[in-house]
Amino acid sequence: MRRNLGAVAFAALMVVAAPAWAQDAPAGNAETGKKLFLADGCYECHGRVGQGGAFNGPAPILAQTQLPFDAFKQQLREPSADMPAYADTVLPDGGVADIYAFLRALPGPKPVKDIAILNH
Amino acid sequence: MPKRREPDVRRRNFLKGATLAGAAALTPPLAGKAEAAPPVGMPPKSVPLPNLVVETLPPRANPVNQTTSGGDFMVDVLKTLDLEYCAINPASSFRGIQEAMINHGNNKAPEILTCTHEEIAVHMAQGYAKMRGKPMAVMAHGVVGLQHAAMALYNAWCDRVPVYVLIGNIVEADKRGPGAEWYHAAIDPAALVRDFVKWDDQPASLQHFAESAVRAYKFAVTPPMAPVLISLDAELQENPIPDAEALRIPKLGKIALPQGDMGAVEDTAKLLVNAEAPVIVVDRMTRSDAGMAKLVELAEALQCAVIDQWGRTNFPSRHPLNQSMRARAVVAQADVIVGIELNDFWGALNVFTDRIVRSARSITKPGVKTVSIGAHDFFAKANYQDFQRFQAVDLFVAGDGETTLPYLVEAVKRLLPADRKAALEARGKKLGDAHRALVEQAREEATIGWDASPITLGRLCAEVWDQIRGEDWSLVGNGINLNWPRRLWTFDKKSRWNGGSGGAGVGYNGPGSLGGALANRSEGRLSLTFQGDGDFMFAPGTLWTAAHHRIPLLYIMHNNRAYHQELMYVQAMADRHSRGIENAHIGTTLRDPNIDYATVAKGFGVYAEGPITDPNDLAPALKRAIAVVKRGEPALLDTVVEAR
Repeated sequence: MRRNLGAVAFAALMVVAAPAWAQDAPAGNAETGKKLFLADGCYECHGRVGQGGAFNGPAPILAQTQLPFDAFKQQLREPSADMPAYADTVLPDGGVADIYAFLRALPGPKPVKDIAILNH
Repeated sequence: MPKRREPDVRRRNFLKGATLAGAAALTPPLAGKAEAAPPVGMPPKSVPLPNLVVETLPPRANPVNQTTSGGDFMVDVLKTLDLEYCAINPASSFRGIQEAMINHGNNKAPEILTCTHEEIAVHMAQGYAKMRGKPMAVMAHGVVGLQHAAMALYNAWCDRVPVYVLIGNIVEADKRGPGAEWYHAAIDPAALVRDFVKWDDQPASLQHFAESAVRAYKFAVTPPMAPVLISLDAELQENPIPDAEALRIPKLGKIALPQGDMGAVEDTAKLLVNAEAPVIVVDRMTRSDAGMAKLVELAEALQCAVIDQWGRTNFPSRHPLNQSMRARAVVAQADVIVGIELNDFWGALNVFTDRIVRSARSITKPGVKTVSIGAHDFFAKANYQDFQRFQAVDLFVAGDGETTLPYLVEAVKRLLPADRKAALEARGKKLGDAHRALVEQAREEATIGWDASPITLGRLCAEVWDQIRGEDWSLVGNGINLNWPRRLWTFDKKSRWNGGSGGAGVGYNGPGSLGGALANRSEGRLSLTFQGDGDFMFAPGTLWTAAHHRIPLLYIMHNNRAYHQELMYVQAMADRHSRGIENAHIGTTLRDPNIDYATVAKGFGVYAEGPITDPNDLAPALKRAIAVVKRGEPALLDTVVEAR
């Protein structure tokens, strides 16, 4: 329980952050980003489709992240809560941009009304 | 039933009281066939042939049959304790009472459950007790069996669950056969687990056993509930009863549970009714639907937030005042926090960060008033640190939470000023709006990756909910604590969720779920569990017990092919060193080869399908498996899903 709280804060940040990501983000390759997302183990906590998951507490949704790129990179380099840090020796800035592009390209939520079993 | 009379013989004199019926019955006709001896002083007419029959009879002082045994009396005692089942892995040190249980006791109350590991037996008892509301017995070898059982006993101890453990031992050294019986004997076998059982004894007589058996039961079910253990000397189990008339079985009277001091309850009520943002946090409080209803009554009277930490089903998941999914936010705004049966109050009020330098900080407002209601401080031990970090509170009310709750409700209702009605309704509406927003958010987030493979956990739990929502379902296990059921399903009564392992000892979920399902069997509930693959591999033989005893339970294998939490931890360590994570799988994964859980289950006689990788295959597979469970058998679906 106690370890959930920091991660919740990060999740909240990702939901309410300003949508300045588009114009500020460096160009990245989504295909390469997908490979890095898997190779670097991001999916282990956040899921392969960015649905979110759990580590010591909830791991936030990353599909179509609304986090600005700089904040995203900051979270990787010096994470809040218990998320492990990814130094540039392990994940260079270019790779961060690729992952960011991949996450932005992931399909987000579908309309709930289109899925019958979610409407009971 | 034996009548009251004091025993006047030592136990080791049993053989003197043993019936010689067996030998006597055989001896006359066999003796009649022997030749008559010649008169004294006269030489024999001829050298007699050896009488093999007579010479191979056991000595008359060592009879071969008996009509009573201490084990019979022990079973008579156990029958007064309303123990429905006794889970065992067979062992010679309790062969006496086992035979008595199945023959003298007709294998009823208790009925023996055959388990393939003592850890399974204890975890079954743990899950059963939580759902059924009374203990199950377990029997184990006093040394090696108890060593197997130890971790499960620790889980039950942390979970505040009564388990009634009987172990076998051979106390007297000269009565132990060479070899295994010496390996399996101990001077003090309970020492191994004494740190996490509430009470233990090794009776020296049958009367001593009777009194200790009833005492142990009483201790186990009095809050804080916990496992108890009695070591049974094999001689005491097996030897004839020297004087049955002397034995008596003490009565187990009604146990009134401890309630909190009424003055303290009144003080708690005053704090709650005068608060602007009161919050109730509950963990292992509810044992009945009545207890759950009382908590609802309290929350609705106050229109306050309730955080259910899910040690049991304490509060309806769809109640608008349920704020469990935004616990931090409501705790941070609270001016009064009442914790009921919290094992970790500190953890509810603080944030802990698992970094190179571990740190913690409070998330509460300055001046927040805190009250703890619970029975946990009535009994604690020092060595194992299950009591968690110390949290200072303004008022500690020593009493069982569920027992104390009705008095708190009454006091709150009496003290609530009528002129606060509008303010309370506004508070409740605000909380209800936040709750409904989170429910909608959960549905939306469940759609992410809806058609992906590996199957997302949101999709898995949505599909399962669609199949069970019309049933009297019961989630008896949740191996890796998925939060999707809490987000998407409606938990509206106590039996909907049976709590977790207690001590986070991996290996609980398979057998613990089975124990819960056994308790549900007589109620006709549809039992299901999310089964982690790593947890499953500790005790896969659980499936055989499920099949053998026809215990209906749907295992939904959460197959992520790893000890995934540990994989993430190793990854975090590698990241600290900037070494990359390519080696993090070493020692943490269950790949190469992938385990075919459906085939494993079939081998144990359990209906199984899988591996299921396409989310569109889930619904039909669930329908088939649920049909199997509804006809009274276990089933397993191996679903290959997202890791977390």
